[in-house]
Amino acid sequence: MPRRLKLTGALGMLLLAALMICAEQRFPPPDFESGYHLPAPSTPAPRQEWLQYADTGVLLAGLGAAAWLIYAKRSRRGLFWLSVFSLAYFGFYRKGCICPIGAPQNIAYALFNPGYAVPVTTLVFCFAPIVAALLAGRAFCGGVCPHGALQDLVLIKPVTVPLWLEEALGTIPWLFLGAGLICAGTGAGFLICRYDPLVPIFRLSGGTFILTAGAVFLLAGMFVGRPYCRFLCPYGGLLRLASLASKWRVRVTPDTCTQCRLCEQSCPFGAMREPAPPAAQAKWLGTQRRRLGWLLALLPVLMAVGAWSGSKLSPAAAQLDPAVALAERYTLQQSHPVQYGVMTPESLSLQRAAMDAKAVLTAAADARHRFELACWLFGGWAGLVIGLKLIAVSVRPARSDYEPDRGACMACGRCFMACPNERVRLGLMPAAEDPAPS
Amino acid sequence: MNTSALYRALALTAWIAGAFSLLVGGILVYEHVEAATRDPWKSPQMLALMEKLAAEPKNEALQNEIRQLDLKVRRDFRRRLALDKSGGWLLLGGALVLALAAGNAAALSKAPPLPQPKSDAAGQSLRLASHARWSLAGVGLVVAGSLLIARLGNPSLLPASEAGWQKLAVQPDATPAPAEDVPVRSEFETNWPRFRGWDGSGAVAWDLKGTPGVLWQCAVPAPGHSSPVVWGDRVFISGGKADRREVFCYNAASGGLLWRRAIENVPGSPSKAGDIPEDTGYAAPTMATDGQRVYAMFGNGDLGALNLDGTVAWTKYLGPFKNSYGYAASLAVWGNNLVAQMDSGDTRAEGSKLISLQGASGRVMWERSRPVPASWATPIVVEAAGRRQVITLANPWIIAYALEGGQELWRAQLLENEVVPSPVFAGGLIFALSPGSKLMALRPDGAGDVSKSHMAWASEENVPDIASPVANGEFVFTVTSGGEATCFEARGGKKDWETNLDMEVQSSPALMGGRLLILGGKGALVTLEAGRECRELGRIQLPDKFTASPAFANGRIYLRGATNLYCLGPAEAQTAKPR
Repeated sequence: MPRRLKLTGALGMLLLAALMICAEQRFPPPDFESGYHLPAPSTPAPRQEWLQYADTGVLLAGLGAAAWLIYAKRSRRGLFWLSVFSLAYFGFYRKGCICPIGAPQNIAYALFNPGYAVPVTTLVFCFAPIVAALLAGRAFCGGVCPHGALQDLVLIKPVTVPLWLEEALGTIPWLFLGAGLICAGTGAGFLICRYDPLVPIFRLSGGTFILTAGAVFLLAGMFVGRPYCRFLCPYGGLLRLASLASKWRVRVTPDTCTQCRLCEQSCPFGAMREPAPPAAQAKWLGTQRRRLGWLLALLPVLMAVGAWSGSKLSPAAAQLDPAVALAERYTLQQSHPVQYGVMTPESLSLQRAAMDAKAVLTAAADARHRFELACWLFGGWAGLVIGLKLIAVSVRPARSDYEPDRGACMACGRCFMACPNERVRLGLMPAAEDPAPS
Repeated sequence: MNTSALYRALALTAWIAGAFSLLVGGILVYEHVEAATRDPWKSPQMLALMEKLAAEPKNEALQNEIRQLDLKVRRDFRRRLALDKSGGWLLLGGALVLALAAGNAAALSKAPPLPQPKSDAAGQSLRLASHARWSLAGVGLVVAGSLLIARLGNPSLLPASEAGWQKLAVQPDATPAPAEDVPVRSEFETNWPRFRGWDGSGAVAWDLKGTPGVLWQCAVPAPGHSSPVVWGDRVFISGGKADRREVFCYNAASGGLLWRRAIENVPGSPSKAGDIPEDTGYAAPTMATDGQRVYAMFGNGDLGALNLDGTVAWTKYLGPFKNSYGYAASLAVWGNNLVAQMDSGDTRAEGSKLISLQGASGRVMWERSRPVPASWATPIVVEAAGRRQVITLANPWIIAYALEGGQELWRAQLLENEVVPSPVFAGGLIFALSPGSKLMALRPDGAGDVSKSHMAWASEENVPDIASPVANGEFVFTVTSGGEATCFEARGGKKDWETNLDMEVQSSPALMGGRLLILGGKGALVTLEAGRECRELGRIQLPDKFTASPAFANGRIYLRGATNLYCLGPAEAQTAKPR
């Protein structure tokens, strides 16, 4: 086993290096004006309208198929092949775009920029998986998401992440979602897309940082089930929330739970939950209630502290906006003039931007004002997320069976076959061998 | 196959896939290390040539040498990218087989679960919750620490206060624009510096006594549909064909040709222009002038700025345009700002943009992408709602941009078809035509999408498809291509009258004092009373064909025909008779 681990590690490093090689390298435009118009750098290329609707059709069909496979067929194999198809179509063919993960940013951008109209296909991609989650849990994650499918394929030997760590890291997607929506709303760009570590793998190109991040996630994904989905994906956060209210929920057993505990380790994503222990002693109950009261009181304090701290971040965060970044360079050039000899691609681009300094500064000042408010909001949001999570882990769950956590369950169907009742249902095991309740 | 044999097969597959991936990955890493020495931008040979070029910027031979080297390194670069891409796919495939085989082998060797009895479940649950709270606190601290590092690691040089911003904004630019005295506004108003006058309205307040007569006429040396522009004692027109595009300057008093200048050797302009439809030709856009220079745009994308003595100030290539009828939007000028609406594409936006240039240097002040296909309307600059707005028309949007900075101010989705007529502004309202479909009046004080909120009125009667409207704040006049002239109340849109002039019209109508002038395609210049009742005041016949619109300056009217340029003035000053 150590040899296998070494081999895997070495190959992982090579994969990382190779993906870095394939990065889109900066290459200067031609030095002489020739009348040639550089095509707009867009990956993937703009798509004909009917093909965009075809993508929407594939998404809706995929969601329907996933729900059918989870609830009607209870077929892990079917879900696996559906996810392989989704990886091929939405991942390597569509190159990770269009994708529901980034779509909420389009909505945020449209809300604050009346000149931008959200395409219908983007709206469907944003809301269809959420509606599906309200009905059937995270069917999108289980069978349609190319990110999840890629991580599933590289999963070799999953290790269990302690639940306390899982809960803590589970706040990151919410913080990322907040940052992404705020950046989109201020017009600074689509942060969630820019820092999506798996899309560069679908495209076999990208910046060094993001490719490194992608390789790290894939390497981690060999031993930790879907690390991106669990600990970074902002859209996963939204689906998690919607799944809590879902009409149907994934159940390990097709019948009644015998509490045999054979499914305990079946979920590589740490979603399996055991029945809630019997009520604790009375003195503990009192302590828990007082703690909950304190945490509820702490919530507005955390939000206020977060908002104030966030406001201090705005000068740095505003540099995500291209106008502010350009104004910073302009100011630097004013205070420390640099005489360019042969122009670098960066200086050439700056010269060709040929914007009026006053216009750049005006745009930067506007962006800075927007970011001041945005950073207040982000800080408050971060306080709210952490505060609510503290409250959530302090509330005693009511659960009588072994079952997947509604929000955390990826609806992948791996746990089905761990249940003896499922094997009996499929005729793989006679009913007599069904273990008696412990 | 028994489990043990299957395990061995999977393990062997994993090893083979691993070895394959190792080999491919090794080759790619070697390529990567090698490629670092072949970075085209860092090529010592290229850098040396670039240094040399900096000293001899006009050296054509050197430029050609650099072009050849540039091409070679680009080809090498593309070849290597293709190799990397193929290698990446092979590596990804190998890694995937490895992961699948190793994963399945791991599953086979996995021991079946054997749950053990659990004691103290309640205690474990409490400890778990406690650990979770502490880890959440830890995550909160890590996030706060990361943000603090991000804040300290990215210090901003930009000011924190409003006063600081203002101070920074008045600092001189590192590359200051050449200083010059731009003529005052009244000079723009008395001259005819662009298509349909200084504000694009096609109206002047002064009038001529009696029916105008021809004062002089002279031959137009090159074809074009562009209208004349006038500054002081000079009249300018543009013309040209595929092989040569020129600007002509005439003496406004006598009609004598003062100079002609070809716009040629424009950097970046291809030697052979794309398909330019013959009907529209190369010189459909009307020139513009700010009294310092004249600016001429041509259908192939060449833009030239000439000093008033005919010397070339600067040239720039802005094409090519994807335009089924040929590029025809005229330049707009306001102070030292030159604005060009460059819409392109057959059915959807394909690089459409609005661009503002500094007149003195040709430097791009700002540029905005536009979500529209090709159009033929000319933008106007208006002062409304406390701001200077550039009003643009193209299917389906009417969009207003700030003249300073180019920020979009408002937009309205009201247009259909191929948009040719230009907008006009009078009495606080923008008048725009959706060709063949609707005449609309809009209030220009909105923000965001004003499609439903800012339309004052609309009329679907006798809507032109080519000629722009003309308005004086009290009335709006339109003329269809078939010669149907219509008068509307500017406030409310009530139709006062309509009349059929029985002539083909492509020129836009104009207002001169209390008279409405309509120039027919076959040379009839009809004068109507610009009032609530339709009354024809006079009609003269010129021996030419007309598509350009009239220009008015210093008590004279200038008309560009297919063969001649005409100057019309008071009948008593008439010296030449039309043939």
